[in-house]
Amino acid sequence: MILLVEDNPDDEALTLRALKKNNILNEVVVARDGVEALDFLCGTGAHAGRDLARMPEVILLDINLPRINGLEVLEKIRANERTRLLPVVILTTSNEEQDKLKSYTLGANSFIRKPVDFQQFSEAIRHLGIYWLLLNQSPPVIRS
Amino acid sequence: MGAESRSSVSQPGRQYRKIAVVVLGVTFVVAAGLYHLARLYVLNEAERNIQAVLLTHKGLHRYIQEVMHPVFYSLRAEGMVSEKFYAPEIFSSTFIVRNQHKAYNEERTAAGLEEIYYKMAALNPRNPVNKADALEEKLIRRFNDNKEIKDYREVVRINGKDYLYVALPFLVNQERCMKCHGDREDAPLGLQALYPGLGGFGEKVGDIRAIESIRAPMEQQYYLLYIVFGSSFAGLLVLAGLLFFNARLREMVRTRTHELEQEVVERRRAEEEVRQVNEELENRVEERTAQIAAANKELDAFAYSVSHDLRAPLRGIDGFSLALLEDYGERLDEKAKDYLGRVRAGCLRMGELIDDMLQLSRLSRGEIHREEVDLSTMAGEIAEELRRGAPQRRVAFEITPGIRVLGDAILLRAVLDNLLGNAWKFTAKTEEARITFGRQEEGGKDLLFVRDNGAGFDMAYAGKLFGAFQRLHSLQEFAGTGIGLATVQRIIHRHGGTIRAEGEVGHGATFYFSV
Repeated sequence: MILLVEDNPDDEALTLRALKKNNILNEVVVARDGVEALDFLCGTGAHAGRDLARMPEVILLDINLPRINGLEVLEKIRANERTRLLPVVILTTSNEEQDKLKSYTLGANSFIRKPVDFQQFSEAIRHLGIYWLLLNQSPPVIRS
Repeated sequence: MGAESRSSVSQPGRQYRKIAVVVLGVTFVVAAGLYHLARLYVLNEAERNIQAVLLTHKGLHRYIQEVMHPVFYSLRAEGMVSEKFYAPEIFSSTFIVRNQHKAYNEERTAAGLEEIYYKMAALNPRNPVNKADALEEKLIRRFNDNKEIKDYREVVRINGKDYLYVALPFLVNQERCMKCHGDREDAPLGLQALYPGLGGFGEKVGDIRAIESIRAPMEQQYYLLYIVFGSSFAGLLVLAGLLFFNARLREMVRTRTHELEQEVVERRRAEEEVRQVNEELENRVEERTAQIAAANKELDAFAYSVSHDLRAPLRGIDGFSLALLEDYGERLDEKAKDYLGRVRAGCLRMGELIDDMLQLSRLSRGEIHREEVDLSTMAGEIAEELRRGAPQRRVAFEITPGIRVLGDAILLRAVLDNLLGNAWKFTAKTEEARITFGRQEEGGKDLLFVRDNGAGFDMAYAGKLFGAFQRLHSLQEFAGTGIGLATVQRIIHRHGGTIRAEGEVGHGATFYFSV
């Protein structure tokens, strides 16, 4: 399972398209802001009662998000016993030094800048899928 | 201020005392000088009077001896006068001169002039009138003792008046004189009969028998008056001059003091103005600094937002254009596909522009970390990267080794990236392309340069070269956003350096810069 945290519907559609085009057929859960993402991960709010044994293999996290932004979401993920080991890939338009510094400081596993060129973007998604979903071994699920 | 006024109060008294001393001094010095001059004059005057009298007497003596005596002797020879005849009144020049002088003195007295004492003084005269007095006797003896002494003169004071007294040897006994002045028994009988006793007899050859003794008054009463007047006048003149200059000096001091006070006031006012202006400037600088800081912050926010918000839609446009091409390509004709291709190209170009703009903005902010940077090594690395990026191209790089400067390594890397990258780009259509990085001296300053033999540019547009988004070539000719040189210039300026470009269309370009 992939958790895609993305507020821009265009980017959402393009990301889903890129995943599909690259034959990454894993389930994709989309959260449209930081609160929704945290609700899903913690089984609260709209996602109350969700089976928390199922956690995403990778979280694709945008930085610019309504309500709670991506960096705050990352901070909360790392602070939560249940989610602190989950691989988080920052997928953003920014290439500001500050954003990179903060992301890695807060424990991001990777930082990928979305290119304008969709072909390059698609290529990036393909690499990302292969790496995190096939090559990488997920951390063990932590039960409470 | 108090101390100054006290000292200026006591000043006039001291000043007048000084003036009095100076005036008295001048008066005395002038008086002494005038006295000396007057005395010389009076003495000279007396001397001349004496000389005149003596010369007149000498003339008379000569007349008697040279004119009267020959006449008398010829008369005697002709028997007109008896051999025995002798009358001093018409024969003795001494007698005649003495009586002539007596008459002269009477005439002087009648004319209101003082007498001039004159005497032919002898030790042993025939006529007791000519008997020398004590002083004259002494002088006759002295002249006789020392024949070298030719005269005697002395200023004597008689009844409170000064006189010049002069004595001169007058008669020296000759052999021929002995006839009448030798032993009495040898003298003519007439003479013996005329002068009883030994007066005028018994003289010896070579002895000075008589002296001329003469005394003229020194007319100095008027001169004393002149001296008093003259010195007083000089003193007064000096006094007036000093007072005048003193007054003028005081006036000048007063004027100057006033001017200085005015200047002090003026200067204080100017200083106050400068202080105010400085304060204002400082305030303005502070204000401006705050504004700049705010603007920088805004710029940061703006850049951040550009980086995020402007790129996202572009990706959408590009992505969905590609999706159209991929998913509905078979339903689109060639023209529609071409249009979509152009839409995508536009997106990519705008993405590049945004990225370059962000770089320009980022390089313009932030601290400069100065360290020694080896630009030659850096240029070599960049050349290597450029070669790797297009291995098919043949470009000769000439890099002067050992060019080191103080500057920010990251920013200077951006400078060389841009300049060498440009040179690389604009020599793409040049055969035997050559790119040089070196150093040369110009006006005592070290200039670095990057030179190529590529497309070059028209010097008419040299000024536009460094403007952001300024391009001198079409995109079809050479790709690029027009941000590179603007970035380079900004970095060079931030290092306190300068940059300029020289070029010619078709003959390459050279960028000179200092750090």
